[in-house]
Amino acid sequence: MTGIPAPVGPPGLSRRRLLGTALTSGAALLGAAALSGCGSAQASDASTVRLWDLFSGADGGLLNDMVRAARPDMPGTRIERTVLEWGTPYYTKLAMASAGGRGPEVAVAHMSRLASYAPTGLLDPWDLDVLAEYGVGRDDFADAVWARTQYRGHTYAVPLDTHPFIVFFHPEPAAKAGLLTPDGVLDTEAFSSPDRFLAAGRELAKASGRQGIAFGYVTDTAQGWRLFYGLYRQTGGAFDLPAGGPAEVDVDRMAEVIAFMAKLVDGRVNPKRLDYPAAIAAFANRQTAMILSGEWELGTFRTADKNVSAAPFPTVFGTPAVYADSHSFVLPRHPDPDPEHRRRTHRAVAALLKAGQIWATAGHIPAYGPVTRTCAYARLQPQAHYAKAQDHVVLDPSVWFAGAGSDFQNAMSQVLQQALLDGLAPDRAARAMVQRLNTFLSKPSPA
Amino acid sequence: MSSPQAAPRTGAPSGRRPVPPGLLFALPFLVLFAVFMLWPLGQGLWMSLTDTSLSAHSPGFVGVDNFTEALGDAAMWSSLGHTVWFTLISTVPLVLVALVLALLVHTGLPGQWVWRLAFFAPYLLPVGVVSLLWIWLYQPDLGLYNHLLHILGLEQVAWLSDESVAMWAIALTTLWWTVGFNFLLLLAALQSIPDHLYEAAAIDGAGAWRRLWSITLPQLARIGAVITVLQILASLKVFDQVYLMTKGGPNGSTRPVVEYIYDVGFTGYRLGYASAISYIFFALVLIASAVQYAALRRREK
Repeated sequence: MTGIPAPVGPPGLSRRRLLGTALTSGAALLGAAALSGCGSAQASDASTVRLWDLFSGADGGLLNDMVRAARPDMPGTRIERTVLEWGTPYYTKLAMASAGGRGPEVAVAHMSRLASYAPTGLLDPWDLDVLAEYGVGRDDFADAVWARTQYRGHTYAVPLDTHPFIVFFHPEPAAKAGLLTPDGVLDTEAFSSPDRFLAAGRELAKASGRQGIAFGYVTDTAQGWRLFYGLYRQTGGAFDLPAGGPAEVDVDRMAEVIAFMAKLVDGRVNPKRLDYPAAIAAFANRQTAMILSGEWELGTFRTADKNVSAAPFPTVFGTPAVYADSHSFVLPRHPDPDPEHRRRTHRAVAALLKAGQIWATAGHIPAYGPVTRTCAYARLQPQAHYAKAQDHVVLDPSVWFAGAGSDFQNAMSQVLQQALLDGLAPDRAARAMVQRLNTFLSKPSPA
Repeated sequence: MSSPQAAPRTGAPSGRRPVPPGLLFALPFLVLFAVFMLWPLGQGLWMSLTDTSLSAHSPGFVGVDNFTEALGDAAMWSSLGHTVWFTLISTVPLVLVALVLALLVHTGLPGQWVWRLAFFAPYLLPVGVVSLLWIWLYQPDLGLYNHLLHILGLEQVAWLSDESVAMWAIALTTLWWTVGFNFLLLLAALQSIPDHLYEAAAIDGAGAWRRLWSITLPQLARIGAVITVLQILASLKVFDQVYLMTKGGPNGSTRPVVEYIYDVGFTGYRLGYASAISYIFFALVLIASAVQYAALRRREK
């Protein structure tokens, strides 16, 4: 007290002191909030392996089952999952956490995103020797998938699965249309050229009494690109994207593929303007006999039709190629990792891979070979029908701006939508795509 | 505090006073202002001169490269165009509709408080709620608007997926959401117009329309100008509702420049380039504000 009573207010509480108290407590609050904000991301003890992933819903439940099943293989280790919403912001969060060296021990990322991650120094490489100690080696993975895990001689990703873009069909109309072989597998010969593919669509429409093949792409940020790129790689056309540009691609073949896609959704025997959910609904309600879709929709389709069957995407343009992506485990950068903790992380990931049979029930093809070679896997229908797809998978071009959830996929899909929906001529659409490609290439890589 | 009567009471040593007390009072604000405003501004300006990206590598100085690239970037100009277009089609109705609502409530409608509440309530909703609500209203198949159009026998509208409609749909949402604030300001101004002006006009035989044109509107001119300036600045900042409702689509037709900055910086990881674009935008907004200010000053003279 200064000795002078405060003019107003209760005795013992001068205005100055009140202000001072308010300020200090305010500052303390701010400080506490800032501290706890950083603290939560870092709190972990030596036996905990923190995993960031993007699996919610049914996939998330299966991953929990896998963590439980993997427990005997990683004694003393606890996996702590953090589920983040799938979408572009997932990669922003992962990049920010890694840039600051505060990421989790291990995270799930799409393999197609590796080209934008590994060169930027946001990831640490896996130690293959340690993985081999726990029974996971290079030979356990398909070549087409493994090739994408490498950057400058190091392995930056351990694939968990492959999720290709395939065809689902209802067996009854497909059999009625004469498109199945005697043992109930899709007769891919009937889809082996653009004309045959379209003819098969007509047969399916006739057999189902409604419509043939569904493909949902309107306003979707990836679907158009998924179908296009898989088909384009079947033509054997070049798709080289040198840094700085220009793109070395075959515009005529691109136009050929776009023309085929436009005929596929011309609205005569197949529905014309479907967005993603509408296509799912059309196939699930048997409005169409077939759908071009990612295998991750298996759960939805099986709820609607327990006999639903599937096949790898047919080879329409000569060279086998199936568009796919792969969920893989990556090690976010840590400025100075604890070797013991790293080893524990390697062990936990190896244990999860071995529990891949659980993952397969969702429809994904487990990347770990010993799982797909088991009898138990062969009995999984229709998963076993399309497991072959992983031998010919093509992922997004290996450039920094491409990959799942990227602006690039969105940009390409938007041009394709103009061609498929608004009648933009295929050759002009192809040139517009090349132009956008060149714009992307002209931008400097963040690495 | 600095008045001579107050000085002896503070008990401070007479003679020199190192820190003026006014500054001490402003200090808490100044600290926050410096930490959350000045420092980020300076940091952002520095970043715009480097090739900072979201990576583990340390950034290098690139001079004005980012700015020259941005000025030649067609995507930036088109998104800037979208922002200006949105500002135009949102500001005009937001001012005019607010005026009409305020006049209706002030003059005619019975049960003033109900209307005041009804017009202002949407403003209290967070942007997430507003966007989700309107996404449902705009649903192509089961949304309210297409349902109404169907009942009236009109053709359905693809509110958020048609390139020529989407921006209007977002402007309509914004109108519903924020018109209440302008309405409240105008209503307050209306209520403060002295009654004797109307009495005098009535005695002189002026009708209702005449009073509106010659008294009400001129009396509202000042607050109207303030509202317009505030509204233009608010509309230029548009991002939230666009991001939540269309993510800038269809085909980039609703992407405002702020979302382009977000896309470049946070999904493209090019933070330096994103900073450069935001400074270009900042400069344009500054120029627009200066022009408005000058125009207002001239009119007042």
